[in-house]
Amino acid sequence: MAYPGQPAPGGFYQGGYGGAPGGPAFPGQAQDPLYGYFAAVGGQDGQIDADELQRCLTQSGIAGAYKPFNLETCRLMISMLDRDMSGTLGFNEFKELWAVVNGWKQHFVSFDSDGSGTIDRQELEKALMAMGFRLSPQAVTAITKRYSTQGKIAFDDYIACCVKLRALTECFRRRDATQQGFVNFHYDDFIQCVMSI
Amino acid sequence: GARLTPALSPPQGFPGAAQPPPVGPYPGATPGASPARGLSEGKVTAPMASPRAGNAPPGVDPEAFSWFQSVDTDHSGFISVKELKQALVNNNWSSFNDETCLLMINMFDRTRSGRIDVYGFSALLRFIQQWRSLFQQYDRDQSGSISFSELQQAFSQMGYNLSPQFSQLLLARYSQRSPNPSIQLDGFIHICMQLQSLTDAFREKDTALQGNVRLSYEDFLSMVVTRML
Repeated sequence: MAYPGQPAPGGFYQGGYGGAPGGPAFPGQAQDPLYGYFAAVGGQDGQIDADELQRCLTQSGIAGAYKPFNLETCRLMISMLDRDMSGTLGFNEFKELWAVVNGWKQHFVSFDSDGSGTIDRQELEKALMAMGFRLSPQAVTAITKRYSTQGKIAFDDYIACCVKLRALTECFRRRDATQQGFVNFHYDDFIQCVMSI
Repeated sequence: GARLTPALSPPQGFPGAAQPPPVGPYPGATPGASPARGLSEGKVTAPMASPRAGNAPPGVDPEAFSWFQSVDTDHSGFISVKELKQALVNNNWSSFNDETCLLMINMFDRTRSGRIDVYGFSALLRFIQQWRSLFQQYDRDQSGSISFSELQQAFSQMGYNLSPQFSQLLLARYSQRSPNPSIQLDGFIHICMQLQSLTDAFREKDTALQGNVRLSYEDFLSMVVTRML
């Protein structure tokens, strides 16, 4: 079973950077333009927290003409990739995040047909389907209700939604031993798995 | 054999679980704040007796009505998430977080407009009052917030069998970074309501009451998304 957004072998970022999260792993990495943004906000420990991520993403211009990310969305993004549960991201994790967010942004841009910076319920449904999610109408309604202001979903909120969906997908996928798209949930595990997102 | 989880039946004394709301006077200051805390100084967002309080709609407590009017800053006759956030504070005077306010609006919004009217607001205040009592019960050292051990105990008494790691995670998520993280009323309400909602969702699928359900990926997503957000 192919789960939506499942990273290709090697992770989302196909740049071939491996190794432990943190600063430059080898010569040449420091020339990476993304590293410039990262290093400008990161402290000496080579890690960035939610505040710094917010600045970093804003400066990198990933939001383009859209409003920059709010702090809660940045916190969510960190928890999505924060493998060592430190509440911070190293450079490699940041690169991975950047690639993922860029991918989601492409979907948003393609469905923001009037270039307003927001999408409506219908466009959201199409964007989610394009990402591979098959959600019930009630689920799409719930998402729209949660993330929209006057029926419109802004880019930042859309990203927060994508992060949550991806985290839930990971949660499920890890328990799908046969990768058939089914999981036997015990009650306690279900609760804890879902509320940990 | 099958293991029936105690939490699959509604926990005792759970607000909203088929129990008449307690009748009683509202505290003189902001809801959700302990009456023992300094009321005279600082934030008091509830108004003094308003001359309009006499015109409370039938069935609506006059104090709740005048409160409603002061919170409904644009006099639309409805309270939005933003306006509600102004009205609800924790024991440490921080505003209720956005997520909890949204949850409250969704619960008491009969109009499906994303806002609540005076009847919804009145019911909401009673609801928060019940939660405040429960919160005070679990705040054993009366610190005004719920610590790790108090949260563990609360879960246990409510009938949930959740790991210490889970409680720790919730504490990290809902509290300010500090050597002794603890949860305010808004976080406590949010956590408990999500627990109940997800338990209901699980129980709906677990018709044989086995404590186990087999879920497809799409069922899982839809089930969680409609309850979690």
